[in-house]
Amino acid sequence: MSHDRGKLEAIFDRYSRQPESLIAVLQDIQKEYRYLPGPALLETAEALKVPLSKVFSVSTFYNAFSLTPKGETVVRICVGTTCHIRGAKVIQQQIENMLGIKAGETTPDMKFTIEVVACVGACAMAPVVAVNDQFHGGVTVAGLKRLVKKV
Amino acid sequence: MVELTINGRVVHANEGEMLLAVCRREGFRIPALCHHEAIEPFGACRLCMVEITKKEWKGWSNYVTSCLYPVEKNLIVLTDSTKVIELRKTVLDLQLARCPNSPEIRQLAAEYGVNQTSYEPVVDGDNCILCGICTRICEKMGFSAISTVGRGHDKVVAPPLKEAPPDCVGCLACSLNCPTHVIPYIDNGSTRIIWGRTFELIKCSKCGKPTITRDFAESLSKTKSIPAEYFEVCDECHRREISLTMGSIANWEREAAK
Ligand code: SF4
Ligand code: SF4
Ligand code: FES
Ligand code: FES
Repeated sequence: MSHDRGKLEAIFDRYSRQPESLIAVLQDIQKEYRYLPGPALLETAEALKVPLSKVFSVSTFYNAFSLTPKGETVVRICVGTTCHIRGAKVIQQQIENMLGIKAGETTPDMKFTIEVVACVGACAMAPVVAVNDQFHGGVTVAGLKRLVKKV
Repeated sequence: MVELTINGRVVHANEGEMLLAVCRREGFRIPALCHHEAIEPFGACRLCMVEITKKEWKGWSNYVTSCLYPVEKNLIVLTDSTKVIELRKTVLDLQLARCPNSPEIRQLAAEYGVNQTSYEPVVDGDNCILCGICTRICEKMGFSAISTVGRGHDKVVAPPLKEAPPDCVGCLACSLNCPTHVIPYIDNGSTRIIWGRTFELIKCSKCGKPTITRDFAESLSKTKSIPAEYFEVCDECHRREISLTMGSIANWEREAAK
C-alpha cells in the first residue's frame, strides 16, 4: 500500500479538518488509493476528531467506498429490474468468465474489479454496463468482447 | 401541564414528555425494545406503536411510535386497540423471523399469540434486532467504541475494522443493556474479554473481589475527576467503610453529649 502521510495531510487540510467533512475526506482518500486503507481510517478519525467507530460506520455504509483495493478498471454491471429482464444475468456470467473473477472480486493483477449495482437510472438503455463510470447501453454478449478488450 | 386521555382515563403530563413515558407511568404496559431512559428515543423497533386521535379529527386516527411522540393537549390515546395489536403482531412476526432463537423475542411474540413467524426465518442469525441501544449507550458513555457497520441486509453492530476496538474500556454498558442479550463477555476474576479485547479487572484492595476494568477506572477518574483510589475498593467494601465511619461518628457524638 503506497499510503503516505503527506497525501492524507493534504486531503485533511483541504477540508480544514472539519468533522462535518468526513464524507468528502473519505471520497478523496477513495479517489487517491481506489479504496480506504485501514491506517488511513485511523488517521482520518484522529485528524477530524471523529470517533473511529463513526468513520468505519460511514465507510461501510456507502457503496462508493471500498475497504479492499479495487482494480484499475471497475466494471459495474447493472442488475436492476429492467436490466435483469433484458439479460443482465447472462452479461454478468459472460464478464465473470472473461475476467476469471466473480462479482465483488478483483483480478490478482489488480487490473479489473467487477461490481453489480441495482438500477443506474438508465433503464431505456438496458442492459447497462459501466466501465470506469463510462456507461454502455444495449450491451450484448458479442459486444462485450469489444468493450472489455478496448480497456 | 397537558391534559390527555389514555385508554379512557384522563391523565396529566408535562409539556414535552413522550407518550411512552406517560403511558407507562399511568400503568399501561407498552412493549418497547429500542427504548432506554439514558438515551434519546430512536424509533427503531416500532413496537411501542399506539393509536392516537382527537375529537376534532372526526373519527380519523393515526398510529405513532409512542417513544417519539410528545404529549399534546386533548389527545386521545389507545394503547391496545385492535389495530395497535395487529401492528404489534406484524412487527413481532418480523422480529421473530430475524431472531427465531431469541428467548426474549419468542416470549414477547408469544404474549401476542405469535408463536411462529409467517416469514422465512433467518438461519444462523445473531439475534440482534439492530435496536442501536448498544452503540448509542456507548456513545453516551463517551466512548463511541462500536457502531453499526454496513447497511440494509448486511448491517451489523461491530467494532471498527471488526478488530478489537481501541476506544472500548470494557464497561459492559452495551452488553448489559442489549434487549436480546447478544453481546457476549467473559469475566474470569482478573480479566474481562469483550469485543475481542482483554481488559485487566481491578481487584478490591480490601476483599480481593474484582471491581471494574483498569481502563474504565482510568477513564472515569480522568473525565469525571473521581480520585483513582476510589476504584481500588469495591462497592461493598465502600459501604462497609461508610457504616464503620457512621458508627464512629455516632460514638463521638454520644461521648461529646456526656
Ligand atoms: S447488539 Fe443488542 S443492543 Fe446492540 S443493536 Fe443488537 S439487539 Fe440492540
Ligand atoms: S464495553 Fe466497550 S463497547 Fe461496550 S459500552 Fe463499554 S466501552 Fe462501549
Ligand atoms: S435496471 Fe439497469 S438501468 Fe435501470
Ligand atoms: S421503543 Fe419506540 S420504536 Fe422502539
